[in-house]
Amino acid sequence: MGEIDRSAIPPALVLRDLRKTFVKTAVDGLNLNVCAGELYALLGPNGAGKTTTLRMVAGLLPADSGAIEIFGVDARRRPIEAKRIIAWLPDEPMLYDKLDPLEYLEFVAGLWGAEPRRAQTLANELLETLGLWEHRRERCEGFSRGMKQKVALAGALVHEPRLLMLDEPLTGLDAAVARQVKDLLVARVKQGATIILTTHILEVAERLADRIGIIQRGRLIAEGTLGQLRGMGGDDNASLETIFLNLIAQSERAA
Amino acid sequence: MSPRPGSFAWLAAHDLRQSWRGFDAAVGGLTRIKAVLLAGMLMAVHIGFWWGLRFNGPEDPLAHDSSLSRYIALGVLFVLPGIIAQAMTATTRALYAHGDLELLFSSPVSARAVLGARAVATAANAIAWFAIVLLPLANVNALAGHLHWLAIYPALVACGLFGTGVGIMLALAFFAAVGPRRARLVTQIGATAVGASFMLGLQGYAAAPGAARASLMKVMESPAQAGWLDWRAFLSLPARAAAGEMRALGLWMMVALAMFFFATFVLGKRFASAAIISTGAPPPPMRWRETRAFRANLGATMRAKERRLILRDPWLISQIALQVVYMLPISFILWRNGGVTGSPGIVFTPLIVVVGAQLAGSLAWLALSGEDAPDLLRAAPVAASRIERHKIEAVLTPISLLMTAPVVALAFAAPWGAVCAALFTLGAGISTALLNLWRPSPSPRGLVLRRHSQSKVVGMIEHLLSIVWAIGAVMAVMGYWAALVPVALACLILWLSRSRSLRVSFPAAA
Repeated sequence: MGEIDRSAIPPALVLRDLRKTFVKTAVDGLNLNVCAGELYALLGPNGAGKTTTLRMVAGLLPADSGAIEIFGVDARRRPIEAKRIIAWLPDEPMLYDKLDPLEYLEFVAGLWGAEPRRAQTLANELLETLGLWEHRRERCEGFSRGMKQKVALAGALVHEPRLLMLDEPLTGLDAAVARQVKDLLVARVKQGATIILTTHILEVAERLADRIGIIQRGRLIAEGTLGQLRGMGGDDNASLETIFLNLIAQSERAA
Repeated sequence: MSPRPGSFAWLAAHDLRQSWRGFDAAVGGLTRIKAVLLAGMLMAVHIGFWWGLRFNGPEDPLAHDSSLSRYIALGVLFVLPGIIAQAMTATTRALYAHGDLELLFSSPVSARAVLGARAVATAANAIAWFAIVLLPLANVNALAGHLHWLAIYPALVACGLFGTGVGIMLALAFFAAVGPRRARLVTQIGATAVGASFMLGLQGYAAAPGAARASLMKVMESPAQAGWLDWRAFLSLPARAAAGEMRALGLWMMVALAMFFFATFVLGKRFASAAIISTGAPPPPMRWRETRAFRANLGATMRAKERRLILRDPWLISQIALQVVYMLPISFILWRNGGVTGSPGIVFTPLIVVVGAQLAGSLAWLALSGEDAPDLLRAAPVAASRIERHKIEAVLTPISLLMTAPVVALAFAAPWGAVCAALFTLGAGISTALLNLWRPSPSPRGLVLRRHSQSKVVGMIEHLLSIVWAIGAVMAVMGYWAALVPVALACLILWLSRSRSLRVSFPAAA
């Protein structure tokens, strides 16, 4: 990844002692720092609290306690201001079946108050890049899962968020679509955007992420670049999968 | 002994268990208290019938009053369309919603067994609804010593099987006739029309001119020998079966079983192929439009989105239009009576108010509770109140346009009535829209006519508000200042139903 001078910019995301309990504790005093302009992969086993954490950052779930700062904005006290600079892409696309992709992008741009002419130009570019241009006037109800995911991704990018959060963005996509999405994400990071993604496809995290955080039972148990994580495991050639499984097993034993 | 896995009986038991769980979920879990309440209600229905029949003395009501046979025939006319409509809806839902059908069809189980089991569950569901009312009547009479009333039990089961068979056949016929793309809408409209045919027929009868009604009544009282209204004719077979004629009962059960087996076992393969075709049914093509500039205004964007979602869903439009259609016979009756007792203003103003209120309630529910992507709106940097305000605007704008035509038409006959209709419709529309904002009940958009099945209280409040505004409108047309009392009452009802704790639609920001 290209180096960006990050000293003058506040961190993209700071979580301090974040907690959320449903019936069980989902997020348990989570502390996290994501720098501006990096691609951060948040990994963890099922039920570790990844999606709950990101939903709290997106303003979809109220936190029980703790602090959320997005580019210096206190998201719990000034949620509208924080939402203005973020985008949230869940694993199930948030679409309207009866709208076509262009109408959907217009609607999302309108919600985020994007400048109409700029948003329209960007929408056209995104549809071209993602191979949706020919389908821009077809209703989403007839689309495959991959096409729906691409429309939703275009929606997340059309208002030019500074922080983009994606929950399992590659699940269910074929190789060609997955490559398109990965290329687009890398291009966005090069342009200065910050991306946080959760994924169970560890190869994606291994190849794309600047830094990787591993959470279990709502707590951060390890964080660093791939090299740093290998160092923790004591094996410089280990795959992320091996490191991940070892760290989870160690954490289980310690619990 | 449990049935062999994969057998027809095993599948039927599975579908019946799913139906039972659906009922259990609908009542919010059948606790011991609810079971006792249910038993109490059934007991109350029995006591009610006993109280009514007591006046007949020890005589068998059927023998005592020969006109009762006509009522039994009317009862069959009410029950059968209801069952057919339920079966049509259930078949269409199975064809398009799929659910577990793909799992079942990918297993080595025959399509006939799958459709047969589903049809048994559909028939059981339909029978259960009518059994609640009809069986207590049979029980009370049987307890009084008139055992032939128990014929209602097998006659009702036969009605269930026959109606389900006809419903499945009609649904598959629509599918074959108009194709998978349009079949869903056409069948659902057909099902609603069939289900309401008895009520619409009664209202049509009431609205008919006096001479026509008199001649129809004459034919019904002394039908021509071997005519279609003759009690001995084939069409009266289910009614004679329900009345306890043993030969008719036996014949009716055989006819019903034959129809059920034909529809499920003979058409089973056709059902399976229809279900497979419906999976790949492409959405309707869009008309090509030139790309125009994005809107700059959030309100305009929201209104455009809501308008598109409603206009592109013909099923929703048909459901909402049916609300109006159901009210048309009432308007004819009011018109006829109004000619004698009142002015057009008094007759039509409350009708316009009620229709406006109901339409506003439906559209508000669609926009607020039937939102397809609530998380997208919650994640947007817009205050929840602003989104809600724009949604309400998006609802009230088309209602205002729709209601303008009848108000303008009324203005020619009764100007003051039109003024009252406009003002009270606006008030009623705003109040039912606000009710749906404050008491949301999220459900899929297609369930617009059953939107209050999750919250009966909200449904009752919505109807109450419509009626109170309509009463106010009538009083205003008549020039009473007391019209302000219903207005105040509507405001009070609305204020009392405002429960912020239940407001779950868009708790976006602050």
